[in-house]
Amino acid sequence: MIIRSVARAGRRALVQTSSQPWRRFLATQTDTIETTAENSFKQFHSLEAQFNATAPPQEAVPSFDPAAASAPASAHVTDSVAEQYHRFKQSQALIGKLGSYITPHYQPHTLLSNPPSPADVTLELLLASEAHQGHATSLWNPANARYIHGIRQGVHIISLEATAAHLRRAAKVVQEVSRRGGLVLFVGTRDGQDRAVARASELAKGYHLFERWIPGSITNGQQILSKCRTKVVNGKDEEIPGFEEQLMERPVLRPDLVVCMNPLENYVLLHECALNNIPTIGVIDTNADPTWVTYPIPANDDSLRCIQVIAGVLGRAGEAGQKQRLELAETGRVTYRPADNLVLPEALQEKTVAAAEPGAEMDLDESLEDADELADKLDMANNREMSNHAARAIKKID
Amino acid sequence: MGRYDFRPMRVRQTAKALFDARRNDSLPQWYNIIGDIPPSETLARPLQRAPTTKKARKPSRMFQPLPIAYPEDKLRSEFFGDHPWELARPRIIVEDSGNDAKHYDWSNIVQPGKQLDGESVVQRQMWLMKHRAMSKPMAYDVARREFYFHRHREDIRRRVAQEEALYVGAYFGKGPMEIGMELEDRTWEGWKRWAREQLDDEEAARAQLFSAAPSTESTALEGEEFEAALEEVQSSVPQSKAGQPALGGAAIHP
Repeated sequence: MIIRSVARAGRRALVQTSSQPWRRFLATQTDTIETTAENSFKQFHSLEAQFNATAPPQEAVPSFDPAAASAPASAHVTDSVAEQYHRFKQSQALIGKLGSYITPHYQPHTLLSNPPSPADVTLELLLASEAHQGHATSLWNPANARYIHGIRQGVHIISLEATAAHLRRAAKVVQEVSRRGGLVLFVGTRDGQDRAVARASELAKGYHLFERWIPGSITNGQQILSKCRTKVVNGKDEEIPGFEEQLMERPVLRPDLVVCMNPLENYVLLHECALNNIPTIGVIDTNADPTWVTYPIPANDDSLRCIQVIAGVLGRAGEAGQKQRLELAETGRVTYRPADNLVLPEALQEKTVAAAEPGAEMDLDESLEDADELADKLDMANNREMSNHAARAIKKID
Repeated sequence: MGRYDFRPMRVRQTAKALFDARRNDSLPQWYNIIGDIPPSETLARPLQRAPTTKKARKPSRMFQPLPIAYPEDKLRSEFFGDHPWELARPRIIVEDSGNDAKHYDWSNIVQPGKQLDGESVVQRQMWLMKHRAMSKPMAYDVARREFYFHRHREDIRRRVAQEEALYVGAYFGKGPMEIGMELEDRTWEGWKRWAREQLDDEEAARAQLFSAAPSTESTALEGEEFEAALEEVQSSVPQSKAGQPALGGAAIHP
């Protein structure tokens, strides 16, 4: 419940702000929100043009402007409608909430706009997100007995300590895989999970799927995903052109890690991952099978708030991993094994032979490293596949 | 095991086996990651109920989860047993931070940020029993009376608000009296129709029994009706291809 209480320092605060000159007070604000104001200005320019064209120019409707009231009048005579509106919005942001204090409360949009990170995961957060709600006791899968705290009102209650521990473990896996430049696919095909999944993949620089998984996309990938565009990027994620012919012969890409928000509906996807030896993370409810995924997270998959929290946490973990990877890339070190059998196009070869450094440091064990020293030295590539599913919001590339 | 598929759990071992058998050229890049962060134990059944030596317990029951019970449950069932219509009130179960209940001080029955509910009565009762050393029935009565006071005040506020609104020109939807009257009217009309049909059927049956005696009542047509009846042409023609519709049995065509 949202509680508004009268702010004790309300009157004093109002007196303080009004005694200072408005211009100076607002000038500091404009610096910080200038970039966002530019966008609104562009919108208002057309509106302003219409207004100025139709209305008589000298007899503009006088509008109350709190900034103009206390500042010298000569400075504001030539202000346009857009600037007046902008100043009005600024003053509203400053003094609009004076006199009442709104207690901190649950704001649903913040789970998507500013999701929690793995360090913010507490039992209270999971409780408020209804992660502990299981299904009716008769519908349970006994394999989940370890994760269940007890029975209340005919439903199983998932132990939040188990949820928190498994969630942190999965977040660590996502962070490490992202740090090593792996392909992470976030999947959530139920109604309402699309925004959470898309936001998580945006943070982790991964891929998302919120429509039905086409069966065979991994096992029969050569047939289903052959039309998808692939690209070659360097350690800093910049695309390098000139590899089109070589990319045509390469096999279709597969994800390195799959995170599934509703494993009960995506059995085919998880089975394909098992067949192709791809590790998976899944949100396991009391009626789901924990053996379908590599890293189960026992939680309530029917609550959108819970899914948003879990997807947010995993997205933030991926974001941290990507940040580490790109920081290392700035210093010239690549945290992954580059793609093999890729030859630079001739155009770049002369430039890079001259500027070749002895070797980029690799963060791998010696026993695992490929013998492709040429690729290492030239600071090359990784294939990134724009999956068909991820490209739904974007135009198809022919 | 037959029913279980452990391939998702064994991705790391499979990757190693494939690499050792030279099916793959290299280990996958997540190999060390999964080695450092191993998956948790699966299919483990923790012992929930302690086994007793008195008599042989069914082993399957020992691994089932236990019910969660609180001392307030008894108080809740008593309160809602006495006030069943409180269950019909809508409840908001969305929590803000999960720590909402930590900041409640049950020295008053009304808490900022919480609905006045049967739950507040129960918590107030528990507080009184704990901090004022009251007995359970005594604490129940005290909490209940405070609850009634606040509900009564809510009702007064609602009534006054309705009067004020009506005074300044608001109009509301149909009240229970009006809706009840409409339902009654509809039922009444339906009954009238049914009664009319019953009477007609009875008359027709009686007319069949006394077929010789023509009735001298209002069956005679007058004026316009008589002329219209004369003009009326029957649609069915005897001895024609279309035939005649069946209009009854032997009693009508003697």
